[in-house]
Amino acid sequence: MRRSLLLASLVLLVLLVLAVWKESRRLAPRALTPTLTGQVEYCLTCHADLQEISASHPVQTFGCVLCHGGERLALDANLAHSSLRGGKNPSDLAVVEASCGGANCHSGTTQDQRDHIQRVMTSLQATYAGAIASLRYAFGAQPDLLARQGIYPVQAPASQTDVHALTAFDPAHEQSPALQTFGARCLTCHLSAQPPLGPAYARYSGCAACHTPLYGQTPAPAGQPSNPPIHRLTIALPYSQCNTCHNRGNYDLRDMTFHPRTDQPTDRLHDYYQPIAQFTRCEWTLECIDCHTRQEAMGDGSLYSSKKESEYTRCSTCHGTLTELPLTRTITDPNDLALRQAFLNPVIDLKVGDTILVTAKGEPIWNARPLPDGTYELFGKATGQRFVFRPVKGTQCQQNPDQQASQYCHACHSVER
Amino acid sequence: MRLLTRGSLTLSGLLGLGMLLHYLGFQNEPEPQTRFDLGPVDNFPPGSRTPEPQANAVVLNRPEGLSALSLVCPHLGCIVQLKQDGYACPCHGSRFDLNGQLRNGPASQPMRMLHHETSPDGHLILYTQ
Repeated sequence: MRRSLLLASLVLLVLLVLAVWKESRRLAPRALTPTLTGQVEYCLTCHADLQEISASHPVQTFGCVLCHGGERLALDANLAHSSLRGGKNPSDLAVVEASCGGANCHSGTTQDQRDHIQRVMTSLQATYAGAIASLRYAFGAQPDLLARQGIYPVQAPASQTDVHALTAFDPAHEQSPALQTFGARCLTCHLSAQPPLGPAYARYSGCAACHTPLYGQTPAPAGQPSNPPIHRLTIALPYSQCNTCHNRGNYDLRDMTFHPRTDQPTDRLHDYYQPIAQFTRCEWTLECIDCHTRQEAMGDGSLYSSKKESEYTRCSTCHGTLTELPLTRTITDPNDLALRQAFLNPVIDLKVGDTILVTAKGEPIWNARPLPDGTYELFGKATGQRFVFRPVKGTQCQQNPDQQASQYCHACHSVER
Repeated sequence: MRLLTRGSLTLSGLLGLGMLLHYLGFQNEPEPQTRFDLGPVDNFPPGSRTPEPQANAVVLNRPEGLSALSLVCPHLGCIVQLKQDGYACPCHGSRFDLNGQLRNGPASQPMRMLHHETSPDGHLILYTQ
């Protein structure tokens, strides 16, 4: 009896010592009450070492839960993460409205230029409607190249094109085996898709596909922490992030298989485009986003049937033509979108009264402006590097004024590799 | 053996008591402070513009009297910064003049005026909510 009592007391003591030891190892809770929510959350107990995601989203203002979801009061990792939106990526298009939406955030009105989510959801990068239409047309499933289906159903009553709605593309309902294979093998580069494995394709889905540059890194599989943690949002996108989808290889319609690039570029001149492409010097010294506008890349709210329809930046956008200088606009409104963008990515010092270049649709090329000597300057959005360039007007260019598409400029100005 | 048993049970009891006190001593996070005693009103002479960082506010003493502006941006809650000619939000670029009136967005409201009062002992009391 006494021996049993001793044994029981020793077991109790050991258990209590273990409980005290475990409790002593527990991280001291670190509370944060973001000014925007006013609700305490304990995420920083474990995540205090994460870098600030961007200057526009300071953790002291936004906290973590507003964007990521999760159980704000939990100190157990599994419980805290049990209701995260989109796992590690709250910008996945399946949850983006709950994570990034809101009238003051990214699903405001077209008038206040805060309709980012609405535009992205109708963009070709998200719907993949152009590729789907091309393939369905090629294999006899539809009579023309007009977009009818996308990765998900979407409506755009105000679309400026002939397409106002898309139904969901369902490979299982396609009669052509080729289209079924296309659905199984080739849907890897729209914004909801997980990319192929490998650092050359490294990107997240949703907004983070572009705005969290990962090129060259290997993101951790779902459910596992990245090392080092990747917690960044930026609008200064390097071309290498665009390359994780574009210029990475080709889909071969004969075997419906993705074939990666076979060249092994070691410098930017060779990395920028595949060897088959023709391009000019500015196309590989600038970043993609230095020329291609936010509406081209993120959509303008219309549903397009091909990239050719939605892209409208030409050489003439910045260089003008033989008879016309590039379009410019003087900033008069302190709420001008150009000022907002220059604030968020301060590679250029813009103020009311400054003149900037604009596109044919009136979008600001806020990082480029005319100089007093008749030339123009452009600041790289990702590099901050300053470039000076001339207009075509007044040069010896023999360009046909009716031929303004880039291929005509490439005829004389393409780079030899 | 009896001594060992008693010692073990005593230690267990002490550890258990310590754990119990530890858990019973848990305190919820205090509610964020919304009332600030800013000291004697005389600390804010006419024409002054006094930042009060602990309250995220600035106290103005203008000809029409004392007033206080919240430095919390009415757009999304970042803390605006004093510049030469007004206040600027470091997060999204909204700007306000020195009186808190909106100059440019994305904020759509002026900086918020805060309620304040003078206590019986002559202190300025500021309420941030």
